[in-house]
Amino acid sequence: MSIPKYKTHTPGKTVLSFVMKLIVYLIMVTFAAMAVMPIVWLILNSFKTTVEFSNNMIGLPDHWTFQNYIGAWKIGDFSILIGNSFFYTIGSTLGTLFLALSAAFAFSKIPSKATVPIYGSFIIGILLTTQSLMVPIFLQTSQLDLLLGNFLETLGILRASSFHLFYNSRFGVLLVYIGSALPLGIYLGTEYIKSIPKALVEAARIDGAGYWRIFFFIIFPMSLPIAMTIAIISVPSFWNEFALINILVSKIELQSLPLGIYRFSGTLASDYGKQFAALVIGMGPMLLFYTVFRKQLTKGVSAGAVKG
Amino acid sequence: MVNNNHVGIEEHRAYWSMVLPAFSIYLFVMAFPIVISIILSLSDYNGGRMFGGEAWRIIGFGQYRKLVSDPYFWLALKNNIYIVLISVFGQLPLGFFIAYIIYRKMVRCGGFWQGVLYVPAIIPVIVIGILWGIVFSPYGPLAELMNSIYAHGFEDRLNSIFAGNYNMVITDGLVHRILDICGTSAKEIFSNPLVELKEFLMGYSPSETTVMKNDLVNLLAPTWNADFLNKRDIAMLPILFVTLWCWTGTYLILFLANMQKIDPQILEAAQIDGASEGQIVSRIILPSLSGVIMNAAILCISGSLNAFALIQSMTAGGPARITQVLSIYMYESAFMGAPDYPYANAISLFIVMFSFILIVLTRKIENKWGGKE
Repeated sequence: MSIPKYKTHTPGKTVLSFVMKLIVYLIMVTFAAMAVMPIVWLILNSFKTTVEFSNNMIGLPDHWTFQNYIGAWKIGDFSILIGNSFFYTIGSTLGTLFLALSAAFAFSKIPSKATVPIYGSFIIGILLTTQSLMVPIFLQTSQLDLLLGNFLETLGILRASSFHLFYNSRFGVLLVYIGSALPLGIYLGTEYIKSIPKALVEAARIDGAGYWRIFFFIIFPMSLPIAMTIAIISVPSFWNEFALINILVSKIELQSLPLGIYRFSGTLASDYGKQFAALVIGMGPMLLFYTVFRKQLTKGVSAGAVKG
Repeated sequence: MVNNNHVGIEEHRAYWSMVLPAFSIYLFVMAFPIVISIILSLSDYNGGRMFGGEAWRIIGFGQYRKLVSDPYFWLALKNNIYIVLISVFGQLPLGFFIAYIIYRKMVRCGGFWQGVLYVPAIIPVIVIGILWGIVFSPYGPLAELMNSIYAHGFEDRLNSIFAGNYNMVITDGLVHRILDICGTSAKEIFSNPLVELKEFLMGYSPSETTVMKNDLVNLLAPTWNADFLNKRDIAMLPILFVTLWCWTGTYLILFLANMQKIDPQILEAAQIDGASEGQIVSRIILPSLSGVIMNAAILCISGSLNAFALIQSMTAGGPARITQVLSIYMYESAFMGAPDYPYANAISLFIVMFSFILIVLTRKIENKWGGKE
């Protein structure tokens, strides 16, 4: 019997020889260094002037300068872009939460024949990536604006060329962002609200409460954990989104941070100092978000991985 | 009866007031674009006003015929398949491997490693693309690092050649040995390497050995050549590497979270029965994670078919379109140069269909082999 051999250490834990342990640690350190070094390298180089960078790409800066940040902030219009990014991220997250949870409540607690086809179509949508539809989305939004603008012009309300509801408009960006986040949000919300006892809803119904009232005062407070999960996984994806806003918006006043950073790789590509500063500005908020919400994000990622 | 009916109407109203806003946005963002995409891919629409402008009409499947005979389309598809493969057979096993190390507590502070390895996944893809684009550029830090390694190697060999030669006696043999270690670089600089290099070396006084060696290193040390990044297939390597770099952490988290859900008593029992590490993986961990692994594979496939932002910011499909993928090709057809909307829409629809086919295939595989739990 080999039982006594295993009594000496905690169960579920492997015993590795010293050499194996060394190898395992070596592997982990290598991976961790691979993950972090490029980022550290980027941050260090953002404090070098472009001239110093071209002479010394790998070492520490000889003298640290903050000039790149000041320059990049100005040239990139980052004070506008960061505001826009916050607006798009917060707006889309709140919009997604409200629409997804209210629909999820209806799907799981109000019986209807429409639930199967509509909920089913949302589930199929989890598989679809909106990015692959960017060309038709661009055509749809810009052509709808033309159509509506023309219509309003014939009514004599305004000039057609100045009409922007879907294309080059904050509303349009929110709409597309919310639409692409809804399938996952609705799936997570519905699965969660299903587990809330139906008796709660029925009791409130007998007391005469309407469905919206029940949603706001009973269901929503009870679904805060899943709302948190949906929000936590939505925020980084909205903040980092590039492909869609790239085709939805052409005016700088409406652009988000990723678009501003991308501009630095075109016309300003040779000015490495400012480009690095712009990249650091671009990843800073998300690194901060990650350090604050690491635990929740880790949980959210594993909950949100439900494609299919 | 009347009362019941009243309740029914109220239920009905509440239901639709809750579902309709979400559903109409969803239709607007996903369903209509697909319909538009189907119609336009069959049409001769070429920009301008879609309604009330220049007339356009449905002309049939010409765009799809063009797609099939377009070498750039096949190249983009091949590159896309590379990305799908590295995602499914690179990210997933690597993520699983690291998750397993942390799960089995082979290293301490599991949370720390997990936290560090997830960092790349949280950074904006645009930042990642530009950052790695600079790293891999012909005059970037990778080239500089390689050059400095080459230069050090060259210097070491120079030192061994000059070892013991304190008086700097320049013989033909010595010059030959130097030329041997330079490879091709000497021929590019000197038209008659043997004579000219000898003359060059004669120009230094014996006290200037260090200066001479430095000059030789600067002049003749072989340089890192990033030309290979202009070749088909090989040019995709940096992109594949970065794909692996930035998303492996996601699957690590996913697998680890699901491993931790496994009842620890099962593991204990297995260990008491003397199960080996390999048996634990193949008999306990893999079977209980099979569903999660399949979901991860599906996630991988639909994500990697749309690696637009990363490649657009890293290479933009260049040089000369050899790193192009489907989404970049679609973008270029629609927005660069003369817009070819029907063609772009055909590609768009192809991406949607292709990802559906791959996902259905994955499901089929799961049903066949995953159901043996």
